[in-house]
Amino acid sequence: MDFHDILAQHKFTVTATGLQLNATATQLVANPDGGATAGGSLSLLVLNRNRNRNRNRNRNRNRNRNRNRALDAVAGSGMQEPWKEREKLYAALDQWADLPIPLPPNTAQLRRQAVDLLAKQALLRTPREAHREHEIMREASIELSGYLRPLGVEDIGGYEATETLFYLILSLTDEIGLRYKDRYNVLRPNQIEPRLRPLLPNPPHQSYPSNHSFQSFSIAFLFSRLLPEHPASSELFVSARRIAENREWAGLHYAADTNAGYQLARMVAPVLEKVCEEQMLAAQAEWI
Amino acid sequence: MQQSGQTGREIYPQYDALWHLITLGVLDGDHAPVGWCVEPKDKPTRVAIIDTSVAAAHPNLQGAINTELSMDFFSARLGSFAFAPDGLATIGCLPLNLDTEIADGLPHTAKLLAELRDRLSQTSKAHANGVAPCTSPAFSSHGTSVAGLVGARPCITQQHLPTGETTPLALPYTGVDPMCEIVQISTNFDPEPEGLILAFLYADIIGADVVLFPRNIADPHRTIPEIGDIKPGEEPLSNLVRQIAPNPKQAEVWGELAELIVNISQVRPVVCAAGNANEDDGIYPANLASEHNGIISVGAVNAKGYKSSYSATGNITVMAPSNDAEAFDVAEVRLDQQSAAYDPVGVPANNANHKFSSYDVISTDVPGPAGYSGGPFAEAAIGGSMREYGSYFNRFGGTSCASALVAGFLSLGYSTGKITGRSGVEAKSWLLTHCHHHDRDEDACNVLCWSGKPVFPDGDGQTMPAPS
Repeated sequence: MDFHDILAQHKFTVTATGLQLNATATQLVANPDGGATAGGSLSLLVLNRNRNRNRNRNRNRNRNRNRNRALDAVAGSGMQEPWKEREKLYAALDQWADLPIPLPPNTAQLRRQAVDLLAKQALLRTPREAHREHEIMREASIELSGYLRPLGVEDIGGYEATETLFYLILSLTDEIGLRYKDRYNVLRPNQIEPRLRPLLPNPPHQSYPSNHSFQSFSIAFLFSRLLPEHPASSELFVSARRIAENREWAGLHYAADTNAGYQLARMVAPVLEKVCEEQMLAAQAEWI
Repeated sequence: MQQSGQTGREIYPQYDALWHLITLGVLDGDHAPVGWCVEPKDKPTRVAIIDTSVAAAHPNLQGAINTELSMDFFSARLGSFAFAPDGLATIGCLPLNLDTEIADGLPHTAKLLAELRDRLSQTSKAHANGVAPCTSPAFSSHGTSVAGLVGARPCITQQHLPTGETTPLALPYTGVDPMCEIVQISTNFDPEPEGLILAFLYADIIGADVVLFPRNIADPHRTIPEIGDIKPGEEPLSNLVRQIAPNPKQAEVWGELAELIVNISQVRPVVCAAGNANEDDGIYPANLASEHNGIISVGAVNAKGYKSSYSATGNITVMAPSNDAEAFDVAEVRLDQQSAAYDPVGVPANNANHKFSSYDVISTDVPGPAGYSGGPFAEAAIGGSMREYGSYFNRFGGTSCASALVAGFLSLGYSTGKITGRSGVEAKSWLLTHCHHHDRDEDACNVLCWSGKPVFPDGDGQTMPAPS
């Protein structure tokens, strides 16, 4: 049966409940309305439009009822140890243990990069940059506001799976990054440049690559796989870079660490999208 | 305006899943090609789609995706071949035009082209530096829908019955040009220009007949509305709102990307989605379209023949069928009165609710639980036999959808020998000869149609021809 015969003898009809083949053999599109909205939404820039065909004002009313509930639920209970995902991750060890990030700078180059950190340390006292200190303190520990705020879902209910995914990514990438740090064993900036006064104590591991950079960019890369055309997908990369640069302003990382973290995040994304597939699909369902 | 007693009942018309191809005049009401036929091609028309990855295993995409040349720039800076069975294998001799001069006069781009030439040498590996492509089908929804609209083929596949037996199953779905081949070029969405420059260079190197770009580019200098000229005080607003360290070199590279897209459009048409948020002159890079280049900016028209509520308005080269969306703002009130959530309170009497169309455009979806449609089984197929077909298709829309139809339309023009010129400007001229000035109320637009005048199936006095 060729092209013409198939189209002449068979027909798909779109019904209110799904896709019907030949009027007699009915099978439903599992989620026709979600599919419709998703297709239109994801096309370009209209992610918040037309969810379930409701008006925006209805949608917002519903969202507001749930304010403040989700973060309490996620943060309060904490995340279970992701043993299934760690098992998958280690089953694919050969795909991420030796990714080709550049070798770290030598000591002379690190000293030169540390001069830039001295300049940042001085500029941090100027009014224009003073607000970074608050960001740096907030970003010192794991928390999601830097990622949720660009998406417009900070303190809003209904995005628990998205938050769970972000915590999972932070958890898995943390230990991946530690392997690379241990391999290159690069001293922290104030160990190279004693005139630096970091805002925070040096974390108890090496400098290269920056895990803040690696983890933040991993969230950005994976979220952009879920919702590539959401305007915030690109903005998450900007947030990730700011979080990474703030670690330079804090005197904890060289620019080279930031760059290596970015490159590692980009190259490890093919592994993580398979390891985290279940959580990514659950997160995606909250948006489309 | 309907009476309130008739609203909110969720009574929607049934419609032909290929209505968009009939509106485009490519198929007649019986789904027979109008003035063309499917013929095997020694050298099929090549459409480069720069988008997300694609679920190439979809049965309607068999034979449509060029799995030898499709390339992913998401994870590996210089690209990894998306479907290479062995990433360590050498790529061998591929049909590539590495001598392209498209980067002449663009110094940063020329350096990237030199790197790409080296990366594409015969002895290089399928996966650059051992980095796998980031192309899991599960997260390939957008690319799969777009590719299906361009070049899906009707097919006979196998259905797995609950008894354990299998039976043939016809999937009567087609893209605009079922003879074309698609080279999927996927990128990430990091707002940096290098990856997109490499993607466009690759589209040129593979000699694409049509380049489709169904998305925007988050160029901080060209994001609309552009803010480069605004100075609230001593400094430009763009400096004051900058979140990250300035990168003067990158600013130059962004500029070269814009020039490169225009340059490529002189050689081959570049079809761009115009945007889904009523952008004045379209999003970037669709807003680069002019009569002097081959960039084609595509807006959306719904199944009633009205401009889709979200579609960009200015500088649109052509409009093509797509879905619609509700609007409730000063420019227009266009609500779905059949929606269960419809509430007549506060709806002005002079609304445009009659313009709303519930029709979506059906396209190919990622099979199984991933994708826009989802599915009931963790594995959509057993041994290649489909367990259901619902998850294989989805309702799509936006100007991504419309731009994909236009790219397919151009491809069909090449496949049937109706377009002779290869340049973007020649292709655009041919396209414009197939446009019909469609004027409904205050909405006037150029709607594409292969033969005759476009007909819109969603009632309102303009019905599709009845199948014989």
